Amino acid sequence: MSRIGVFICHCGENISRTVDVERVAAQVGTLPGVAFSTDYKYMCSDPGQGLLKKAIQEQRLSHVVVAACSPRMHEKTFRKAVESAGLNPFLCEMANIREHCSWVHEDREEATQKAIEIVGMMVERVKKNRVLPTITVPVTKRSLVIGGGIAGIQAALDIADCGHEVVLVEREPSIGGHMAQLSETFPTLDCSQCIMTPKMVDVANHPKIKLYTYAEIEHVEGYIGNFQVTVRKKARSVDEDKCTGCGVCMTKCPQKKIPNTFDRNLGMRPAIYVPFPQAVPNTPVIDRENCTKFKTGKCGVCQKVCGPGAVDYEQEDQLIVEPVGAIVVATGFDLYSIEEKPKGSPIKGYGEFGHGKIPDVIDGMTFERLASASGPTGGKILRPSDGREPKQIVFIQCVGSRAREKGISYCSKICCMYTAKHTMLYHHKVHDGQAYVFFMDARTPGKSYDEFWRRSIEEEEAVYIRGMVSRLYQKGDKIVVMGSDIAVGVQVEIEADMVVLATAVQPQKGADTLAQKLGISYDKYHFYSEAHAKLRPVECATAGIYLAGACQGPKDIPDTVSQASAAAAKVMTLFAKDKLEREPIVAKVREAGCVGCFYCRKVCPYGAVEEKEIRDRQGNLIKVVAYVNPGVCGGCGTCQATCPSKSVELDGYTDEQIVAMIESL
Amino acid sequence: MTNSIDTSIYTAITEAIQDEARRILSERSVIAVVGYTAARRKGSAQPVVITQADDAGKLIFSAACVNNLAVYLTKAKKEIPKGGKIGIVVKGCDLKALVGLLGESQLKREELYLIGVPCAGVLASTAQPARELTGDTIAPKCRECDNHLPQGCDFVPDQRPVTLELAGKYSAEIARLEAMTPAERWAYWKEQFKKCIKCYACRQVCPFCFCEQCLCDRNKPQMVETTPRPAGNTAWHIVRAMHLAGRCAGCAECERVCPMDIPLNLLNRKMAKELKELYDYEAGFEVREKGPLAMYDEKDDQSFIK
Repeated sequence: MSRIGVFICHCGENISRTVDVERVAAQVGTLPGVAFSTDYKYMCSDPGQGLLKKAIQEQRLSHVVVAACSPRMHEKTFRKAVESAGLNPFLCEMANIREHCSWVHEDREEATQKAIEIVGMMVERVKKNRVLPTITVPVTKRSLVIGGGIAGIQAALDIADCGHEVVLVEREPSIGGHMAQLSETFPTLDCSQCIMTPKMVDVANHPKIKLYTYAEIEHVEGYIGNFQVTVRKKARSVDEDKCTGCGVCMTKCPQKKIPNTFDRNLGMRPAIYVPFPQAVPNTPVIDRENCTKFKTGKCGVCQKVCGPGAVDYEQEDQLIVEPVGAIVVATGFDLYSIEEKPKGSPIKGYGEFGHGKIPDVIDGMTFERLASASGPTGGKILRPSDGREPKQIVFIQCVGSRAREKGISYCSKICCMYTAKHTMLYHHKVHDGQAYVFFMDARTPGKSYDEFWRRSIEEEEAVYIRGMVSRLYQKGDKIVVMGSDIAVGVQVEIEADMVVLATAVQPQKGADTLAQKLGISYDKYHFYSEAHAKLRPVECATAGIYLAGACQGPKDIPDTVSQASAAAAKVMTLFAKDKLEREPIVAKVREAGCVGCFYCRKVCPYGAVEEKEIRDRQGNLIKVVAYVNPGVCGGCGTCQATCPSKSVELDGYTDEQIVAMIESL
Repeated sequence: MTNSIDTSIYTAITEAIQDEARRILSERSVIAVVGYTAARRKGSAQPVVITQADDAGKLIFSAACVNNLAVYLTKAKKEIPKGGKIGIVVKGCDLKALVGLLGESQLKREELYLIGVPCAGVLASTAQPARELTGDTIAPKCRECDNHLPQGCDFVPDQRPVTLELAGKYSAEIARLEAMTPAERWAYWKEQFKKCIKCYACRQVCPFCFCEQCLCDRNKPQMVETTPRPAGNTAWHIVRAMHLAGRCAGCAECERVCPMDIPLNLLNRKMAKELKELYDYEAGFEVREKGPLAMYDEKDDQSFIK
């Protein structure tokens, strides 16, 4: 016979205001199997927990029900308390009489009645709870970092500095990401490349970092502590071990008219190239789509001029399997491209701004390249159309962002600050020029951020106009900007030489496919979802996978670096132990009933279901059944709901327990 | 009679099946062939398993060959010798069930030798086995058949069935039920389920009811009441219909064997219609890893959430 102890919490007045807790305790005390019931003002407090422990020992309780808040809030607290009193923690259940009862009801009589029923259900359920042993799984103390931008670089360096091996995978031929493209950074105006390149070199030289550039994640298997990641190393056509990075191939390549995407197509590059001079690794890659050798079979100049003989036209993609224990996803962002409207996309473009048609309407990143000392103009602000210096320049903020009717409702967070920076850079380079900014609000929370924005207006003479632009059109060699100034209530028309659009931050292309490979969730914009917006902001709901940087949402550099270090800290916490302990709320297969239809495997979001052969003593195969790997199972119970013969059950949520709860009503 | 259906090809098909069975059994490329043979009553047929090439002459195909033999490869597989490739005679409707079973890891294609039957239709369970096949005696499922000539088999006799355009009985009945109010419809099904005597013949004959232990037989906890009372009957039939949604391709064996004449396949066809309308999914044409009910897609219809 069970000796169940029931503890009713007042939660200050949160529960007792609406629920007659004393009556609940008295009533529940009469249920069969309940040996003890009481109420207390704060069960989670130290004296509350003391009361619980004392009762377990004095009353020789076999099971415990704590009727209080949501189990998400305090289940761990009470299970720990129960464990310290000598009971298996999984013999303790919580009855939620706060969120499910007192907070949502007003009538005291009815709420009390409902509370009695909720507690009664949990009493019936806890009777059928089983002792569950904690599950331990081994940990591979290596980490994978996906994305070699500032987020990935920071996370990789932090983890590697702690002594753990890191595999860093970057899609592009060089690490560096967007930060390598920037000119100067707010709010201090230090040169982006000057602070970025040393970190890139640190990555290349770090003995604990294994760097794969021009590589992508092919697929991911396994679970926290034990992932098997297959990396596709795309054919570079240049042997990385032989190449010395002398660059002769690039100077001799006859095909030099390929738009340089790193410079936002403003400059040109050869078919064999490094994206930018400071690239890490400094090993060129052949752009096979544009290379004459690959297109026509004739040429082969680069191979002839290469001293060490590193150029290899025959090279093929390589698949490499890396065992890792944790994964940091740092795939970053992409800019909203306003002329492109993918088919079926809910996101609408801005045809009225003429981006892509009017050459001097550019986006913020293109302006960064113009302003960058290593950019296509050597740091001079010049118009792409005729190379003249723009004397009147208009910046338009919130292009794409905060425009529900265009399909994106969020704020891209960084544009207010970088536009303020752009006005300054412009003012520093074109002394007689005038910058105008159309804006909705200036959002400048952050250390020294508002001061920076104020400075752009007060010292750097930028004119801020509150209002949006309705249309841009070319008139002679000018661009007419038609907008409104809602502060004054008039229509404004500016004849500008150049227009810069602060386009929205979006997740990288293919963010959704990568998420599907990793088994992590993402929102409707394809930003990756964190496990909890406030309390677990760098962890994914999938154990062992962490987020860093703008792949989770728009972020500036300081926030990205902070999150990357936080993700690294989480990885190091995981690696601090040799074995992982995890909650034993996992599914188990009743092999006698299983017929091996594997519907469970089809619906399992964690990939936890494996095949198991049942053989007789002679070794003859009797049947193949499902087996749930307890290390991988996330305890969601989808398999339990799907199994046609009810042959898989989630420990702690068995059909018997659920039916017992229903029958108690 | 004007609506008689030409079944003359069945003689040639019988010969072709016999020859093929003799060949594969004597070559030992299969260890057994599941097919039909003449039963005692004149004109009737019954399932048979033959393991010797000499027995191939026993095999027949006629309008009385109604059974879906796929069931002998799953639940009733203990009657089939183990340890080798098995040949099986399949009509188009039976093939759909096999395709479903392949997708549910119950069978392996390489362990099967499929002898497909070009089929003009079989007799309804209400018709005497010796009757001529006509628009009146044909089984209701054959009226709406879309798979007269099975695809993807290892061997199909070179015959082309001649079929009649017949009005669909299930589609007409579904339309009639859909026109009812929910209360009327509920009353109709309650009346039907009330008849059930829980003999589980429908479960026994269904190729998809391959669980070794049906959840309806479990008693800890008891999921479905086992006595034939209205509530338990309704629960059983709803479980059955839901478990077959997206899987059943309409061999209508359940309806054929029901001693109480409950229109079971009507329920299955209605579920199939829903699947077709909601997910553009039809069971039984290709081996699929996942049916629509085991998948989630953001574009899934959510209009049922009210």
